[in-house]
Parts: sequence; C-alpha cells; structure tokens
Amino acid sequence: MDYKFPKELKYTVTHEWVLLEDDIAIVGITDFAQHQLGDIVYVEMPDIGMVFERESNAGEIESVKAVGEIIMPLSGEIIETNSKVIDNPELVNSSPFEEGWIMKIKISHKDEVENLITVEEYIKVVESEEL
Amino acid sequence: MALKKTPFYEIHKKLGARMVPFSGFLMPVQYQSIIEEHEAVRNNAGIFDISHMGEFLLEGKDVFDFLQYIMINDLNLLEVNKGQYSCMCYDNGTVIDDLVYYEETPIRFRMIVNASNIEKDLQWLHDHIGEYDVKVTNLSRERSRLAFQGPNSDDLLQKLVDVDLTQINRFYFSHCSLKENPIFIARTGYTGERGFEISFENKYAEKVWGHLHDTGATPAGLGARDSLRLEACYSLYGHEISNTITPLEAGLFWLVKPKEGINYIGKEVLLKQKSQGTERILVGLNLLERGIIRDDCKIFHNSNQIGYVTSGGYSPTLKKTIGLGLVEKQHSKINTEIEIEIRKKLVKGKIVEIPFYRNV
Repeated sequence: MDYKFPKELKYTVTHEWVLLEDDIAIVGITDFAQHQLGDIVYVEMPDIGMVFERESNAGEIESVKAVGEIIMPLSGEIIETNSKVIDNPELVNSSPFEEGWIMKIKISHKDEVENLITVEEYIKVVESEEL
Repeated sequence: MALKKTPFYEIHKKLGARMVPFSGFLMPVQYQSIIEEHEAVRNNAGIFDISHMGEFLLEGKDVFDFLQYIMINDLNLLEVNKGQYSCMCYDNGTVIDDLVYYEETPIRFRMIVNASNIEKDLQWLHDHIGEYDVKVTNLSRERSRLAFQGPNSDDLLQKLVDVDLTQINRFYFSHCSLKENPIFIARTGYTGERGFEISFENKYAEKVWGHLHDTGATPAGLGARDSLRLEACYSLYGHEISNTITPLEAGLFWLVKPKEGINYIGKEVLLKQKSQGTERILVGLNLLERGIIRDDCKIFHNSNQIGYVTSGGYSPTLKKTIGLGLVEKQHSKINTEIEIEIRKKLVKGKIVEIPFYRNV
C-alpha cells in the first residue's frame, strides 16, 4: 500500500502527525490512519481552552465502521480546532495532512518534542502494523 | 478454526477489498469506500457477494404442510414462481431466523437463510420434520450467490439474461440464462432499491461475476450492505430480531398470519401479542446533537432507561446518523425526545418515523 509520509512532519506511534511552529503544534492523523479507519463521518473535537497531557485522549474520529482516538502528541492547551473538518469530516480522508488538520495546540512542555518520532521511524511503525 | 472463502474470494482480493471474518467466512467489508459503494447502489447498481448465505432445497409431497407448520407467514399466499419472506419462530414467538422461500413447484421449495444461522436452521428443520415426507438438501456450499441492486439494475441485467425481466414482479423468480450460464434469479433484495438476487452453481461464479461487473455496476461489500439495509429499515438477525425478540416487537406485524385451522410453531404467543400489543417496540432514531448512533447504546427518557439501540450508524443518503432501537411501548411515539448514551456521554435525540429510505 502506498501511503504518504511528508518528510517535514513529526509523528507519533499512535498515528498523529505534528507540524511545529515555535510553541504551536498543528495536529492531524496520518494517511495510514485515515485509510485504516475508512470513510470518516464524524470528528469529536476537544473544546477550545481545554488543557490535556501528552498521550491523553483529546477527541474521537468516527468512521462508518470504527472509532479512533485522537491522542495528544504533546501536552498543552487547545487553541483552535478545524471547523472545516467538523462540517466535512471526509476532508480527513481526502487531505489528512493539509485541509484535514484536526487541532492546534499551544505547547506547555517544549522538551516533550523529543518524544515525537521521525518520518523514518514512523514508516517502520506502519510497516510493522501492516504485517 | 479456518475461515471459509466464497468462490469470489480471489476476485475480491484482486479488487483490493478489505476482508473481514463474518459468520465463519472471509468477506469483503469494502473495496475502496463504504460510502462510495452505498451511493453506487442508490444511484446506479452494485454487486454483492452473498455466497456465505445458506441455500436449501426442500422436496417431497409434504413440503407445503411442513412449511406451514414451521413458518409464521401463510403459504396459501404463495404461488409457483413466487417467493415469500418469513420468520421461523420458537414456541415463545422469538425468532430462529428470517428467510425467504421460493415455490418452484408445490413439492419443491428453495430456501435462502442467514449465513450465521445455517447450522441452527438445518437442525431445526430436521428436528421438526417428524412424519412429514420432506427431504432437505443443503446447497449452501455448492452454489454461489450474488445480489445485483440499484435503480439501473433492470436495464443493465436485461442485456445479459434471456428472460423478460419486466415480467418478473417483486418477489417472483425465474430460472434462466445469464449469457449461457444457468441461473436462478429472484426480484428480491436487502438494499431498499430495485434489484435481484441470483444463485447458480459454483462453476459459473467467475463468468457471472465478470458479466455483471462489465455492466459498470460497482462491487459493494458488507459495510455498504449494512448501511443500505439500515436506511431501508430491514431487520438484521441478532439485532432487530433474535431469539429474544419477536417479529411483533420488531414491527413485522404483517408477517404474523392468523392461518386459521393451521397449527404453526409460535402461533398462540404471536397471535396474542398481535391482538394485545407488545411491551416494547422497534422505533427509528435520530440525534439532535452531534454524534453517531451505535449498536447497543442505552436509550433514556427523563433519566430512565427505556430501551437500547439495535442498529446504529451513518446514513450516506440522508447525510446524518440514523438508528433503530427497541423501546418501551409507552415511550415510543414519534417525536418523543430521548437521550442515547454513546460511549458514556448522553446525547439528545428523538424517535422518528421509519423507514428512512425506500425506493423499491
């Protein structure tokens, strides 16, 4: 299977991607994740202003047949969620890295960035899950 | 235990289908997109592999009487070349299986049953044959089955078969040829669209699939099959009907026939329920807030649980979440506001009219 793995992004083993811009992180789910889920029909976004710890459950992504969790890649405050995705959840399928971004976090612990994995490491995660 | 494969397994794999275990078989849940396949059936035509289902032949001079005894529907309403949907019930009125039987001759019937109930149904038939002169032959694995469903199914199929499809009314069937391949074809279906269900010997599987696929119809998997039948509000065994739910609770009043002078299993309980009503009844569900209704979610009214969701999901046609639920009769009126507990969160919803969609 050919999945997209943008090189400029960081990743998590739970299939989120992170685009870092100083102390703001833009977060979404990967091409592999959207493919595993299938047609996405609903995204449960976290509330703006809520603060979550890294690895906690920030929301849910529902497809026709499955429910996936959105896991916080970094600790911080939710400062924005993608209203386009709320109205058109299928954007996460068609454009997981661009139009289908999920939320923006104001990072509270910069050192946690070290826990994110590189694109090469993430590709290995996907390969092992595909076996 | 190894999962069984239908004769179309390799074809599904070649088309890139995602295969999942279902009733002991490896079946395609989707090829590329459940929603796309669903929409293809609503707008054009779709092909479903239903070879996992059961197919029996019942023959003998007592078949008619035997079926009258074990089925709740009335075979006096049947005729040669016609099929009938029915439930087979226990003494207490709950359901063993829902199925369709077709009268080929007065002493030869073809029966199609749910994949999940094949062994159970065969056992029930054998346990109740008694002195009836009936022979049951299990053709489930010897024959393949496909459903061809959609508003364009008549036009597309007519080019392939040597019988005038306009002469086959709903629930009627014929034996004919699909480009030299002998088939059994019935105007029945589980999608809420016009369409057909076809059965044939396994050796014709590849050829028949190929011809159907060449019409431009879209291969559709179990995911779309479920979202389509949910929109049409057709019962799924184990959900709307089961060994704890009677056909009347599932809203299938018309299936329970008086059959005067004929004894059938479950008759007493079912006719009593039909005249007195049931304590719980199947209703349609929508949400008033965001979310997706899911199977087994509890349904509340003023903080009291009044029932549960039998089937829930997303409707691509209506572009919203829909569901069916079994609720207490006194709270089952249309527009009753309720709350559905979806993964620990109470979401506001209401009871709505069903079916959500039919285009038959």
